[in-house]
Amino acid sequence: MTLISLKALKHRGNLNKGLRWWPEGNYGDHPALGDARWTPDLIMAGWEMAGTGKPPVAVINHQTGASEGGFDRLTFKEGTQKKKGIIDLSLRLNRREPRLDQMRIGLPWYGGGMSYGSVSDQVMAARALAAKSHKTLTCTGEGGYPPSMIPYADHVITQVATGLFGVSEETIQRAPILEFKYAQGAKPGLGGHLLGDKSTSEVAKMRESVPWVSLFSPFPFHSVYSVEDHRKHIDWLRTVNPDALISVKVSTPSDVDMVAVGSYYAGAHIVHLDGSYGGTGAAPEIAKKNIAMPIELAIPKVHKHLKKEGIRDEITLIASGGIRSAMDIAKSIALGADGVVLGTLDLIALGCTRCSNCERGRGCTFGLTTTDPELSLLVREEWGAERISNLYKALATQLENLLRSHGLSSISELRGRIDLLRYQGGSL
Amino acid sequence: MNAKDRLRLASTRSTLPPSPPPPQSPAEGGCGVIGLSAAEPVAGKHLLEALVQMRNRGNGKGGGIAAAGLDPAFFGVDKETLQTHTLLAIGYLDKSVRERVEKEHIHPHYQIAHIHEIETLPMGTIEDLEVEPPFTVCYFVRAKVDALELWADKAGVTGMEGRTLEDEFVYRTSYHLNLEMYGGEKAQAFVLSHGRDLLVAKMVGYGGDVIRHYKLENLKARVWIGHHRYPTKGRVWHPGGAHPFIGLNEALVHNGDFANYHAVREYLAQKDIHPLFHTDTEVSALVFDLHHRLYGYGLEAVIESLAPTTEGDFAQLPPEKQDWYAALQRSHIHGSPDGPWFFLIAHSNPDIGEYKLVCITDTSMLRPQVFAIADGECPIAFASSELQGIDAALRSLSSEDHRFCSRPDHVWNARGGSHTDGGAFILTSRSGNLPALEVTNKFGDTVTASKPANLGIEAHPHAAAIPTNRSDALATLIQRTNERIPMSEPRSHALATTDRFIALWANEIKESPCDLYSWVGAPTERSEIKPPSKRTPQDPLGGGSHTLAQSEQTLVIDARNFPQEGIQSVAREIVHHAQAGWHRFVIVHNRGHRFIGNGLGPHSQEIHIDIFGAVGDYLASGLDGATIVVHGSAQDQLAQIMKSGKLVVHGDVGQAFGYGIKGGDVFVLGNAAGRPLINGVGKPRVVINGTCLDYLAESFMAGDALNGGGYAILNALQVQDDGSIVELPQPYPGGNLFSLASGGAVYIRDPAHTLGQWQLNGGDFTPFRDVDWDLIRPQLETNAELFNIPVERLLEWNNSTHLPSEIYRKVIPSKSQPLDPEAAWLARSD
Repeated sequence: MTLISLKALKHRGNLNKGLRWWPEGNYGDHPALGDARWTPDLIMAGWEMAGTGKPPVAVINHQTGASEGGFDRLTFKEGTQKKKGIIDLSLRLNRREPRLDQMRIGLPWYGGGMSYGSVSDQVMAARALAAKSHKTLTCTGEGGYPPSMIPYADHVITQVATGLFGVSEETIQRAPILEFKYAQGAKPGLGGHLLGDKSTSEVAKMRESVPWVSLFSPFPFHSVYSVEDHRKHIDWLRTVNPDALISVKVSTPSDVDMVAVGSYYAGAHIVHLDGSYGGTGAAPEIAKKNIAMPIELAIPKVHKHLKKEGIRDEITLIASGGIRSAMDIAKSIALGADGVVLGTLDLIALGCTRCSNCERGRGCTFGLTTTDPELSLLVREEWGAERISNLYKALATQLENLLRSHGLSSISELRGRIDLLRYQGGSL
Repeated sequence: MNAKDRLRLASTRSTLPPSPPPPQSPAEGGCGVIGLSAAEPVAGKHLLEALVQMRNRGNGKGGGIAAAGLDPAFFGVDKETLQTHTLLAIGYLDKSVRERVEKEHIHPHYQIAHIHEIETLPMGTIEDLEVEPPFTVCYFVRAKVDALELWADKAGVTGMEGRTLEDEFVYRTSYHLNLEMYGGEKAQAFVLSHGRDLLVAKMVGYGGDVIRHYKLENLKARVWIGHHRYPTKGRVWHPGGAHPFIGLNEALVHNGDFANYHAVREYLAQKDIHPLFHTDTEVSALVFDLHHRLYGYGLEAVIESLAPTTEGDFAQLPPEKQDWYAALQRSHIHGSPDGPWFFLIAHSNPDIGEYKLVCITDTSMLRPQVFAIADGECPIAFASSELQGIDAALRSLSSEDHRFCSRPDHVWNARGGSHTDGGAFILTSRSGNLPALEVTNKFGDTVTASKPANLGIEAHPHAAAIPTNRSDALATLIQRTNERIPMSEPRSHALATTDRFIALWANEIKESPCDLYSWVGAPTERSEIKPPSKRTPQDPLGGGSHTLAQSEQTLVIDARNFPQEGIQSVAREIVHHAQAGWHRFVIVHNRGHRFIGNGLGPHSQEIHIDIFGAVGDYLASGLDGATIVVHGSAQDQLAQIMKSGKLVVHGDVGQAFGYGIKGGDVFVLGNAAGRPLINGVGKPRVVINGTCLDYLAESFMAGDALNGGGYAILNALQVQDDGSIVELPQPYPGGNLFSLASGGAVYIRDPAHTLGQWQLNGGDFTPFRDVDWDLIRPQLETNAELFNIPVERLLEWNNSTHLPSEIYRKVIPSKSQPLDPEAAWLARSD
């Protein structure tokens, strides 16, 4: 055993102990943990779920943050029923093309794109393994398709984003779903960035770029400047891989409803709305807080518009961008989405503290958003997969309980049930 | 009319009532456009063919056409009436309001010379027509003298020149009609067009269906524009929202959208102009009309105000031009549409017998566009979203009139706001005056199809007796080619032999030379592939007509049997057969078929595809091992994410070529349009023998060219029709070369050192060394074999041979700057 791996072993052990002790212990305030959106409680609830696989008991408020808006002002009305039997949490992704498989995933969520470069190989593999064990999916992000994910190919979405890094016919043909990333809710109109320090030799090799140089994904696709270009773009991927579903990931501008309809007519199976609360530390604060529309507003706007157009049941509507808890998932669905995408929450399960230093230096001190060879040893694939898997179990249990209390037997029955929600405080 | 009067006239618009406020976001989407201008009037059916070909650029929710320089017989009027009277075309969505419209909006203002109701097909004839198209009535009118005088008196504009005044009177009368009969939720009737010798027809449907529904197949006109719309918003689309939109004597179609619709609307509101139909296209038509008709600006000024010359291009303009361009920009920048757009404007001026197709590209050149001239006995010029639209129109024209050639002589792209041609072209058709067709750019320079020089090859040994029978003749041609005209012989002799051969042959068998060129260009009419419907998963080849192929056999596929895209497309067909073991393909009669060479995946090194015809977008995208040879020009988005293999294009390539390219060898005989090789990584090696327009290799990240990284060579040459090779006036006319780039190199053939630092936005010149020559020489040798552009010729300049380092210049990325304090600290600690 080398000195480096011994050091890693020691740090790993201590970090893991910390993740177990913090939620249970009474250590007073946590000056370096979280913010109003992701409160210390929410983060520690994530750690607890990832440790136990059960709904949190040690953390009091594990459902809402302290942002005083959006999801934090919505609660479910008290359910009085006790539905018996099996609760169906599965989500059908293909609703329009009988030629292809329905592609039903076991949970109403899947993992969002985080590239090799933004996170480590170990984190990507851990997410993929967890996705496989729950019959759901994860996504490559835009940084190539690391070989460690190939064994889980049936559960890995290949993302085609504006920089086209690491996208080849081979990776397109391998995927069950192809995701066009037009924009990220955290920084719409700003493209993608990977600062030089994180673009290590290994990362650069995967992207076939120059090591230690900052990388940019342009904001628009240079081949897509209007909706008929978009259709052509989708036709292109369907020529390369006719059996894959197409997902279109967009941010939430004020005309997001029009974007969704346009994507439907262009041939997409999934429209993925990425709201403004998402993004790791790499997205600039000014963009995260000011550009896109909050996801709570975008979901019902799109849901209603798709209904009005008569195409709601032919397309799967996915929401993402700051989904922090089981109730955030349920609220998104009650507002009109079919399912959600999780990103940061997966990282919380692995010990993320939301310190927002993802992009600085070699990245994360917890070994998550880093590609530093030493730091990334802090996460082992199996350990990570188990933590994420536990988190998913705990989220699923909470959703099942909610559905039972409202007399619903499947998650799809919850879609659009705004009547089950209550708006708390503030003036309407 | 003098400038003072013009301003006075414009200022009186303040009496017009404003239109209802716009919706939150204007309805817009993508589109497909085509326009033509011919030396003689041509029938609508030819435009129909073009629109049918480009159907996949629309979604059937809006289509329209405009025609100028019309045939009076179609309307049952004489020529004088057509040219002197306003053609007021009113679309009735509700036929019952016709009486009211005529009573309130026509009779009080106009003297009617003639009324023509446009005949239509019965509803239901055209499939999928959801909304009944407007019943269109054409009124040939002049303003009543007393009505005009009364209005002028009231508005305080008496004593002004008659026609300008009458035109403005027409404009305002129509505005009132539209406001009353179409504004808000009414949608009962609206003015389709109100120019002279200009007709607009539009509806909710495809552009081609407009021609069919209104039976315009045999209407002849000098200028045509057509449009397919692809709107995305709203379930009910209304015919008023379809293109073209009108000013007065012009109609405009548009592909793209603006980010600053509300700003342009505000700009117009300050001039008391109020749009009614809530699309960004309408405001651009209104800005054009304001500047051209009311302010009396010449077309160059109008083009400048819409697509301003900026940055480095502006600095290249002559000082006196800079002065008045700057003044225009200061005054009208808020009326300049910002975003991706491409305008085609049909403009009618019967007073001097001139009908124009004005084509304007946005400053960033973000929409697909292609221009073409087909010279000959009856010249015709085009602008279109895609080349196959032009090909389709020419095929249709030449099949019934031998004075038209079936293929264009000159095809080009352009960059909006450039200092070279402005990215804007004016295709003028003249009745009675010569030349009957003239193509000029923004600055008034004439664009011609370069004609082969007198080759003087009568005595050339290769031009011997020609058999008259087609297949024998072809055999002879092939034999001659096989004998191989020695490489040392000038390229012109090879071309001359072919030309001579075709000329003699055409004479012998009494066929038009251009037909023979087409025939030679597409080597076979045979279709060896069964239609896809006969294939089943068990029998992928349909009837088992092909067993596992011998690798030396060639499969010829006639693209016409296949849709342009989708799972039954010719692209997928090739993939099926490649999987079944075929290696060599010849694809003929391409008509914009897209995605060819896509889906072959890795391990495709043995596959070789030759392509003839109008090649569609995305060709060779993702190519990973195979070889593709395009015998002609290709279109947009070529070689996107290409990884390995070889691509040869005997012509030009379109926009966004090689976006995200990762490797492979590419050879292009002609030019690349805008934005080539953006985000290139890995090890691509690209030779472009012409030049490209702008943003070459933006964000290029392809390592170190001298250590296995990627590079591009720009030879900045033009091979002329007679085979001679000439230098381009500028090796690279654009700017932004290597902006944000971090790797790779660009080698530019620039012996005169024309390329300036201002054109590099993130790149630096670096000395060209022997190792660079060792690197690029093998590529240039392959290039020489492919296109007969000898390496020795590349080293020639000013009639003498130079060292490679005197001929080529090398550009590499500027050293990237540390982006934050941590990165700087890290760099120091390293």
